[in-house]
Amino acid sequence: MVLRVSEICVRRGEQLALDRVSFTLAPGSLTALVGPNGAGKSTLLQSIEGQLPLAAGTIELDGQPLTLSRARQQLALMPQRGEIAWTFPITVRELVALGRLVAQRPGCCDVEAALQRVGMASLADRRLDQLSGGQQQRTLLARTLVQPARLLLLDEPCAAIDPPSRTELLRVMRQLRDAGLTLLVSSHDWGRDLDAYDRVLVLDRCLLADGTPQQVRQSLGDLRVGNHCCG
Amino acid sequence: MERVWWLLPMLLALVVGGLAPLAGTLLLVQRRLFLANLVSHAVLPGLAIALALRLDPGVGGVVSGVAGALLAERFSGAERPGQGGDEAVLNTVLAGFLGLGVLLIPLLHIRVDLEAVLFGDLLAATPLDLVRSLLALLAMLLLLGLRYRHYVYVGVDPLGAASAGLPVRRLRLLLTLVTAFTVVSAMTAVGVVLVIGLMGAPALLALPGALSLRQALARAALIGTLISGSGFLLAIQPMVNLPPGPMIGVLCLVLLPLASQRRRRLAAGR
Repeated sequence: MVLRVSEICVRRGEQLALDRVSFTLAPGSLTALVGPNGAGKSTLLQSIEGQLPLAAGTIELDGQPLTLSRARQQLALMPQRGEIAWTFPITVRELVALGRLVAQRPGCCDVEAALQRVGMASLADRRLDQLSGGQQQRTLLARTLVQPARLLLLDEPCAAIDPPSRTELLRVMRQLRDAGLTLLVSSHDWGRDLDAYDRVLVLDRCLLADGTPQQVRQSLGDLRVGNHCCG
Repeated sequence: MERVWWLLPMLLALVVGGLAPLAGTLLLVQRRLFLANLVSHAVLPGLAIALALRLDPGVGGVVSGVAGALLAERFSGAERPGQGGDEAVLNTVLAGFLGLGVLLIPLLHIRVDLEAVLFGDLLAATPLDLVRSLLALLAMLLLLGLRYRHYVYVGVDPLGAASAGLPVRRLRLLLTLVTAFTVVSAMTAVGVVLVIGLMGAPALLALPGALSLRQALARAALIGTLISGSGFLLAIQPMVNLPPGPMIGVLCLVLLPLASQRRRRLAAGR
């Protein structure tokens, strides 16, 4: 499954939130989308998911325009943790099973398998608010896995969790990549964790850099994010 | 027959005691409990107009309650998934509808026992009141039976539910409609003002530690039935002899320290 984003512009009210952003994601890849707060990372993920209209440009999946109904079948978005009501009376298993409400297709929606994959099977009967931050994030990831999607868009999954949990989450993401899934993961982490990704896209309204973690670090040597011109 | 005069009001108190917390719990987990307050005040104009037109006041109340809720959501932004709405707008609509209802009574030359509408008059309950409450309970159970998982999704992740293609606005409208029906059906038992207590207080005690919304709903309904039934029985004792509606409202207060203690105990056990 190839995702091609070509010259897209997205407006948030009067402001241009994304300015001529282009990139292509290959199947079975793990890509980080980094940038400071307000850089347009969530806007980009929501645009790909079809929640925000494009002011210009196109998004294609396997050469076909990505419509909202196709996006719902083939993409899954894991939201930022701030969007979730963590005190809601629900167990891990029930939350993960909600992913099956989105699109029901035989063979793709095994809740127990998704829980196993993210290492949450033993905590499946716990309430959400009895979990650590990292466990909560893995639960949300499991919910995206029961959807019939091959392309996962993860919005800051490593935010506000401790380093061991972050390492564990990155390990799970690499396993999913190895299983053939395509992952686009937003983050504002510029640390060593970037090396866990195959590729890094640096965004600040426009795309500033695109390459392996090492290439991006080199190319950003004299470019300060947040103090540049997108032309 | 004289000896069982209390049976009909008791049955009504039990049904409303089970029904109101179901609506309240559903609204509370979606951070929309204020809607119960709004709807309960917004039923008054419809009630007055229906009485003037010689229609069932319950129907007028439901229409007016839903209209008030929609108006408030329209101006507050609460219609967007994940938004709580502007409380100032909600309060303005609440006061406006209540004022309109009070003004319509003399303007339409109708006779309404405002005290009974606001605070209930269980002892004046008729079989029609019981039928109305049972129909509201049926509507609530149907809504939960057919759309339970949708409401769970909207409650735990409203934006995710919208992006997953769930009809969030329609689900909210349906819940508003059933809430209005609940409020109107509870009018005789506890009144449109006191029903708010019966919606919120049992939910406060039922939610901590519940493993599912279903469990929280069942607990809330049970607590509400107990509070409502015991409030009625206490109020009609010869040595007490007080109006049952306000008595039920006061008993709801007792649940607050219990809920707080339960939350503390659960937090200490983690």
